[in-house]
Amino acid sequence: MRSLTLESASFWYPATEAPALREVSLEVAQGEVVALVGALGAGASTLLLVAADLAPRVTGGRLTGSVARGDRSGIVLPTPWTQASGMAFTVWDEVAFGPANLGWPTHEIARQVDRALEQLELVPLASRDPATLSGGELQRVIIASILAMDPGLVLFDEPAAELDAEAARALWRLIRLQAKEGKAVLLATSALDALPDVADRVVWLEDGAVRAIGTPELLADVAACDAGLGTSVASVWWASGLPGPYPLTVAHALQRWR
Amino acid sequence: MIPHPPLRLDGVSFAYGTVPALAGLSFSIAPGERAALLGRNGAGKSTVVRLVAGLERPDDGTVWVGDWDTRDCAPERLARRVGSVFQHADQQLFAPTVREDVRFGPRALGVGEQEVKRRSDDALEDLDLTPHAAHHPYDLPPALRKLAALAGALALEPALLVLDEPTIGLDRALCARVTSALLERSAAGVALLVITHDLTFAAETLQRGLVLDRGSLACDGPLAGLLGDATRLEPLGLVPPAVAALSAALDLPGRPVRAADAANVLARVARGRPAP
Repeated sequence: MRSLTLESASFWYPATEAPALREVSLEVAQGEVVALVGALGAGASTLLLVAADLAPRVTGGRLTGSVARGDRSGIVLPTPWTQASGMAFTVWDEVAFGPANLGWPTHEIARQVDRALEQLELVPLASRDPATLSGGELQRVIIASILAMDPGLVLFDEPAAELDAEAARALWRLIRLQAKEGKAVLLATSALDALPDVADRVVWLEDGAVRAIGTPELLADVAACDAGLGTSVASVWWASGLPGPYPLTVAHALQRWR
Repeated sequence: MIPHPPLRLDGVSFAYGTVPALAGLSFSIAPGERAALLGRNGAGKSTVVRLVAGLERPDDGTVWVGDWDTRDCAPERLARRVGSVFQHADQQLFAPTVREDVRFGPRALGVGEQEVKRRSDDALEDLDLTPHAAHHPYDLPPALRKLAALAGALALEPALLVLDEPTIGLDRALCARVTSALLERSAAGVALLVITHDLTFAAETLQRGLVLDRGSLACDGPLAGLLGDATRLEPLGLVPPAVAALSAALDLPGRPVRAADAANVLARVARGRPAP
């Protein structure tokens, strides 16, 4: 079932002439992880704001085309520290803030909060004051806060930005798990090397428009490497002048090399 | 007399209330040195930046910036010697345009207006920000706001740059701009201490690896060797970046960790010629 459908969606921020999104058509189904890649300014963050119904509702501006959502959405912004309620004195209360605002019964709030804290390995921090957390810890708290609201469509903008290697790997695994549980996941990231293991499909945005949609193999294409969007391994192969097709990952490279 | 290094931490301990962050941390950075400060979330990395910038005072030990004890220095005085980019750089941007924001630092140092203009134009150009110079910082995406904060630090033309995650959300082309701007400053003698989880960027840019583990120094050595050694990285919570992993998997001579070096070695080996 479709969780998000964009048909020919274009979007202009207030007082700008050039659209930030140009005629984007995209479907995201329940159970899949779709990754948006592109140069900075290509439109990935804007597309997430449109999907979250924050643009133009909160940002202002103008949207044409159509956007249909089959599920309630939750978004993790690239500035997660701006998403903290500022009204909670413990991590547990911070994560409960969203579910409480949805008007759920107390036992359901507690169930979702405990589950989200476990998923983000935050149980040992449950009684900490959010103001004393490190950047990466706070990022995990915000992700837990969004997941605790049980959104059917989960939107992530650079979700691993402040995470260390272990936390990033755990997050990518959790994102796969979300899809397995039937959620639709749409994410924007510059962590291209993570995508072969995480994404079902990759959407390459350029100048606000969809340039290509495909499997993560797209990130080993000559065109993607030309544009600086190849995985590290594909890019090294490309820069070495060896013939294609380029390996996508270290494992692929090793197979090719033998 | 031995000259003072741009930065020296001498037995520094610090706690946020009852939550310990650093325990007896000692290291120094030489002029022109490019050091990465690595480690898990919560290891104390950002606390180091706040101490060096004078936003916090050590509970014990001393942070020396040149021959200044940060305990005796207000942050605005330290800005004569240290350019900082904080984890959440939004907190350090306030002017109505990117250009004015970048000019604020050198202007506050009291340098002449001609020099203010030269320094800020150079910094904006080095980071490819000139097209955004007239924009309000908050009209830019977060990654470019961080870059604007970096331009502000570069425009101070300090002896020491302390940067907390400068490349979050940047695409590869902009990461390369940051790398070349930092290499240029380092060649001119500026010392760099860069906190990053982006080990691909670290491999391209930095030479020394300092790893913090629960507030103490767990490792201090050449970065290239460290990044290629998965067994040393793992207990420190780090994972080799893809190029280093590729070099190790294919057993490329010299185990290059920078993409361009790896591509050269790969091409040479593939042509069947021995690598140097």
